Parts: sequence; C-alpha cells; structure tokens
Amino acid sequence: MKKIIVTADLALREIARRRTVLVVLALLPLAFYLSRRGDHLGQSIRFVCLGLGWALSTAALFAGSAARPIEPRLRLSGYGSRHLVLGRLLALWTVGLVLSLPYYLLILVDRHDVRYGAIAVVMLLTVAVAAPFGLALSAVLPRELEGTLVLLIVVGLQMMTDPATTASRALPFWFSREIGTYAIDHTDSGYLDRGLLHGVAFAVLLTALVTVAASVRLRSRPHLRFNPAP
Amino acid sequence: MNQDAWLAALVGELRRHGVGPDLAGHVVAEAATHLRDSGEPPLSAFGPPGSYARDVADSIGAAAPAPRRQPPGPVRLDVRGISKRYRRHRVLNDVNLTVRAGQIAAVVGANGAGKSTFLRICAGLVSPDRGEVHAYGSLGYCPQDGGTREFLTPDEHFVLIGAGRDMDRAVARRAGRAHAARLDWKPDSGRLAGQLSGGTRQKLNLVMARLGEPDILLLDEPYQGFDRGAYLDFWHEVWRWRDTGTAVVVVTHLLNQLDRVDIVLDLTPDRERA
Repeated sequence: MKKIIVTADLALREIARRRTVLVVLALLPLAFYLSRRGDHLGQSIRFVCLGLGWALSTAALFAGSAARPIEPRLRLSGYGSRHLVLGRLLALWTVGLVLSLPYYLLILVDRHDVRYGAIAVVMLLTVAVAAPFGLALSAVLPRELEGTLVLLIVVGLQMMTDPATTASRALPFWFSREIGTYAIDHTDSGYLDRGLLHGVAFAVLLTALVTVAASVRLRSRPHLRFNPAP
Repeated sequence: MNQDAWLAALVGELRRHGVGPDLAGHVVAEAATHLRDSGEPPLSAFGPPGSYARDVADSIGAAAPAPRRQPPGPVRLDVRGISKRYRRHRVLNDVNLTVRAGQIAAVVGANGAGKSTFLRICAGLVSPDRGEVHAYGSLGYCPQDGGTREFLTPDEHFVLIGAGRDMDRAVARRAGRAHAARLDWKPDSGRLAGQLSGGTRQKLNLVMARLGEPDILLLDEPYQGFDRGAYLDFWHEVWRWRDTGTAVVVVTHLLNQLDRVDIVLDLTPDRERA
C-alpha cells in the first residue's frame, strides 16, 4: 500500500507543478459548456461532461507516456506493475474529481430543472473512465502524437454520432449521453440503468487493460534469475 | 575566490586525491589558520585548491588509492552465453561475464558494440535471444539517461526509489543526501530535476541507483556531463563501493581507468578487432 500511496502522491505533485497545463485542463470543459449555453442548456451539460472526459484522458495520456522511461527502474527498485498503475490512477482520479467539482457547482447554480444526483453520477463515471482510457492509449500508442490523434477522433465521434446507434455504444463515453438524457430530459430509468452499466463496464475493462498492459511491459524476463545473496 | 570558497574547494580536492578525512581535516585547519593570521588571499598563499591538494597528496604518497586487501567474495552476477540480434544485425554473440562481490567489471567497446544492450539484459529490461543471467542479491541500475522525472525534486526521487526498497521517507531522503554529498553535491530542496544541469542530473541518477545499497550495481556510462572533479569523485565512489563488497559493472568508453578495475569485458566485434 505504501508504494501505491507514494506513487500517487508524487504523480499528483508532478501534475500540480504543471500550472499552465492545469489551467488549460480546468478551462477546457468550460469552453464546452459555454459553447451551447446560449441556445441549448441541456446540451451544454452533456458537453461539459465530455469536456471533462477529454481533459482528463489527455492528462492521463501524457502522464502515462512521460512515466514510461522511469518505470523499468522503479520495477527494479521493488515496485510491482500494479503499484505503478494503481498509484497513477489514484492521482488522476483525484485530479478528475477536483476538476469536476466546480462544474457540478456551476450546473447546480445555473440549472434548476435537472436531476442533480444523475449529473453527479455522470461526472463520477466520466472521471472513472477517462483516467484509465488515457493510460490505456499511452500503453498501446507510446508516442504522444498518435495517442492524442486517437483521443481526438474518439471524442469527436462521441460528439457527432447518434447515441441511438449500436456502434456508438463502443465509444467509452456513451454512458454520459445516456445518463445525461435521463438527468436533463427526465426520461425513464432505463437510460440511467443502461448508462450505469456501460460506464461501470468501461471503467472496469479499461482499468484491467491498463493493468495487464503494464504487467506485460514490465514483466520479469525469464533469462534473469534472482537468487538470494550467499 | 574568497577564503571560504577556496577552503571548501580544497576539501573536495583533497578527497579526490585520496587524502583521508583525518589528514584532510588537519590540512584544511592549518590552511585556514594560516590565511586568517596572514590575511593573504588564498590563491596567492597556496595557489589553486587542486594544485595544493595534489602537492599535499604527493608529499604523503596518497595520490593513488590504497590497494585493496580484501579478496573478492562470492559470485554476485553470472552472465552465461548471452546473444542478441536486432533484425539481421548481431549485437552480442555468446557473451559471458562473472563478477564477484568486491569486484569492478568494465564493459568497453566501440559505439554500437552492444554495451548498453548488454547492461539492459543484465538488468532484465531487455530479453536476449539466448543465454541467462543469474543475480545473487539485489540489483541497482543507473541508465545512461532518462531515469529521472522532470517535475520532481531530488528529495522526491529519493523517496520514490526508497519506497520501492521499503525505506521510510525520512530514511530515504537522508540516505540520498548522504550519497549525494559523497559526489560533492548538496541537493537544493526546492529545485526540480528538470532545472538541474546535465551532470547534476546524472549524479541524481547515480544516487538513485545506489539507494538501498544493492549488492550489484549496473552503471551505464553514468558520468555523462560530469566535470573533471565530479568524474574523479565518481571513480572514488566506485572504488569505495567495491571495497564494501558491492559487485559493480560499469559501461565505459573512457579507457584511462581500466587499470583500476578488476575485469574488462570488451564487446568490440572480432571483425573490427582484426
């Protein structure tokens, strides 16, 4: 547990020291929110959740890529791949929650006819999915530019595709449209159930994918055999 | 150079020239007394600290480190039949190396001879096509570059590595600072690794590898960016580690220290040697 906490603590410090990045991360969802604030308030809530997901996924992608060079030596120093993954995820989840809180309060002040509890669920699931999604991209695409382009495509598709189509369910943030509809348009609880199932499934799957990818990349090589010192 | 700076530089130079701490303390105290009583500037009284330290070392016959008295201990690293290819290019062919506790092995060879690949195979970071490595004890590894985090301070690096080796935060910080002092470096607690010079970042890299006192140290050209003084400090540290029973494998292309190591593994391919 100590190794996970130290990894999380130091990952948080690294993020906190990148002031410009933090400001951009904090303002990105606001730009999404304001883009539809004038004509379609409900849509602006859906967009702010996507903006949060995009911001946190990008932060996770860059954090994952930047950590790659030091991870082998950390592994040699006694860390397991699970310590590194869980520590980094804890840090990113914390950043996501801190980023989400002001936007939740903004919606609370700006809208009076939505289901606030459901909005909170969307934000929590967005944070839960976005962090492992960014880390999974950095695991599969070690070069940041490729990862960023894929992220751009995914979020672009998420905003443009019709959420009613089956294919759109393969996108990681589909749940936010579904639960968002439940919260904003006061639809039946089927939207909430489907969204919850989708969000939780993606959070679990992506976390498992990141853990497996790290354990493969940082695996003990069979040619090196450790024996106790004589 | 004022008196304090000159005396501080003299302390470092005396250590680099192999003068023991007791004698060095006397020399510095005498020099300080002389400077205070005479009021002379240190450079005109004694000359540059490096020259004065060399004169002191020559006068007591301490220029070369004392020969080791301890015979090598048990085998710590046993590398057998390592071969590695990158596509059609054969990098390593049936390489063997045995390093015992209290020995230094230097891995030499031309650029592209596979020195870093060999060390990464020994550290378990790269798989060979053939062969095996037996490590008897814990491993520390210092990469050529890229082993540090830009937005963390040196103390935080010590904590990060220390946690992996089950050290408390305070213990890791103290140990890291003690190792840093031996390399004539006092980490500034507010400075991030990204703001350090290349040589200082390599010192950080080296200290991280040494934290937790691993039994086997794998060092991949760790002196990149070191000035002359830091380079001498580095070798003094390597000899000290050897004398405390650590098995050290160091990749180097600087051949002037090879007479001070126990084993030389030349990875230059036969066709180039011929």
